[in-house]
Amino acid sequence: MPDPVLQVDDLTISFSTGATSFDVVRDLSVTLDGGRTLAVVGESGSGKTITGRAIMRLLPRGASARGRILVAGRDMLAADERDLRRARGADVAMVFQDSMSALSPYLDIGAHIAQALRLHGPSVSRRAARARAVQMLERVGIPEPADAVRRFPHEFSGGMRQRAVIAMALVNRPALLIADEPTTALDVTVQAQILGLLRELQEEYGMAMLLISHDFGVVASAADDVLVLYAGREAEYGSLRDIFEEPAHPYTAGLRAATPRLDARLGTAGERTRLRAIPGAPTSLRDAGPGCAFAPRCGLADQVGERCVAEVPLPAPRPTSSAGGAHRAACHLDRLPSPQEAAR
Amino acid sequence: MITYVARRMVTAVFMLLAIAFVTIALFFGASKDPARAMCGKPCPAETKAKVSAYMQTDQSVVWQYGEFVKGLFVGRTYGEGAQQVECAAPCFGYSFPNRSDVTSLIAERLPVTLSLALGAAVLCLVVGIGLGALSAIRKGGIVDRFSTGFAMFGLSVPTFLVGLLVVQVFGFMLNVLPFSGFVPFSESPAGWAWHLVGPWMVLSFILAAGYIRVTRTQLLNELSADHLVAMTARGASPRQVNRHAVRGVMVPISAMFALDVTALLGGSVIAEKVFSLHGLGDLLLSGVNEADLSIVVGVTLFSAFLIIVGNLLVDLALPLLDPRIRRA
Repeated sequence: MPDPVLQVDDLTISFSTGATSFDVVRDLSVTLDGGRTLAVVGESGSGKTITGRAIMRLLPRGASARGRILVAGRDMLAADERDLRRARGADVAMVFQDSMSALSPYLDIGAHIAQALRLHGPSVSRRAARARAVQMLERVGIPEPADAVRRFPHEFSGGMRQRAVIAMALVNRPALLIADEPTTALDVTVQAQILGLLRELQEEYGMAMLLISHDFGVVASAADDVLVLYAGREAEYGSLRDIFEEPAHPYTAGLRAATPRLDARLGTAGERTRLRAIPGAPTSLRDAGPGCAFAPRCGLADQVGERCVAEVPLPAPRPTSSAGGAHRAACHLDRLPSPQEAAR
Repeated sequence: MITYVARRMVTAVFMLLAIAFVTIALFFGASKDPARAMCGKPCPAETKAKVSAYMQTDQSVVWQYGEFVKGLFVGRTYGEGAQQVECAAPCFGYSFPNRSDVTSLIAERLPVTLSLALGAAVLCLVVGIGLGALSAIRKGGIVDRFSTGFAMFGLSVPTFLVGLLVVQVFGFMLNVLPFSGFVPFSESPAGWAWHLVGPWMVLSFILAAGYIRVTRTQLLNELSADHLVAMTARGASPRQVNRHAVRGVMVPISAMFALDVTALLGGSVIAEKVFSLHGLGDLLLSGVNEADLSIVVGVTLFSAFLIIVGNLLVDLALPLLDPRIRRA
């Protein structure tokens, strides 16, 4: 078996403000092979975006990461500045949530793509880079690319901008694409188009994709595997089928129960289906007690008892129905929770 | 781009014409009659009418405006015979009390005001942008705290007070700077600069405050901007990213500077007074005091001309910094 494109071992990310320091992500381990899509889901503050940033070592001031992150064999946390630059934009590229602010207002679309190209191939001439930009825009489905290449970001619509950002990210054919909420700022029809485009390009280039999202609809239509984060820790990991059909963590089950489904029968007598929200608000590692961070909101913590508030559950293998895949959940419960009992 | 430049220039010309009309109309209705000041004491109505006709202040506003504009291009003649006075183009009017055309009065004073304004502009940009950038880079550090306080102080203290303080402290108490006088640059560059250090400090002190604040805020915004993170994500080096950040800061700074050309000229009136410099501001004040309307109108218009030219230059420079404007 070939080496995975992305391998993260025991990643811990902490912020320090003055004298105090606290973790926002703890002991995260994950692997991702070429051609596959791993969705990282979780609520705001669960650590999904910062994890994506850590992989490119684009952490904000005051944040630091420990552990090991291998991207196409390169240790990103140990790499020096030059090595990092070589990896960024070439081995691993990123698509940001807000395409408007991710593009410089002072450069036209072509200059962005040409820049991405020339930063990794100084021998590429300006003209060749512009020509390549036109090709790339055409590939991502922008009409009249020769004209579009000279336009500025503010002259594009949201969907077009996101296509341009994708073109920019993929121009160097990265082995790994980190897509941080790539469709959140778009309306639903455009969302579907962009997701379709990402899938198509992924297949064409054989790249791995880390899809950061909080939208189960997006995850369901794009992911192969899913990593559920809660308060900076892995809650559950498994194939899309595992997560959607047989969630092993009460949190995942709760999220599923809180997601509207088209196939749910509404209003039939005796079986009235209402969306069940998870009570309470997400917490952070900083505020979590000694036990499971989800315990205060968990409907099953009482059944398990003391362990939930005393001991942090570690990701452990679970039975899986999908072939060859791994299924892990960080929960003290020794059986699968039912959707009804997931939420308290 | 050519359309942009042409449009800006045409606008500038019309603006000047409009300002000329307003200024002339405004002073035409002034309570002080310039002829009254000229005809001496006693002043019989007859003599006054003669003086009025000679100074051409008895005509309608529209006529005076027409003559003024014409004078700018072809010059102007007052009176006739032995009393005839020629005012060569570009004629900004004739000051009868000074027996000189306003154009030469302005030309005489211009070096002082330009030295003052240009030096202060350079100083306030260097100090303002420098301190603002340092504060943004080391946010919360000593420089940041100092310059934020400095900016607050600069914004709230009036020019004349700063001027008097500088004269008092550096001129009298420490006795390290001259507190009056002007040495032409051509005579002694060192003496020129030495005599202007005080006025420069005063004038730039207040303006620098604004630049510190704008630079600091803008650079902080830029440094955390997503598009710069995205640029790093594309593989750009910190130097390349910083160079791009500077551009984002320069655009608002340039736009702000266009507005401050006015403040530089306006502030120089006070700075000139405090340091006894005989520049345009001083000329304007004497014109007001002596009811010499030709000077008031001439200097006002000339200042307007400087401001509009300054703005035009900034307007022309902006599209070089921000390509989006080229399309507008």
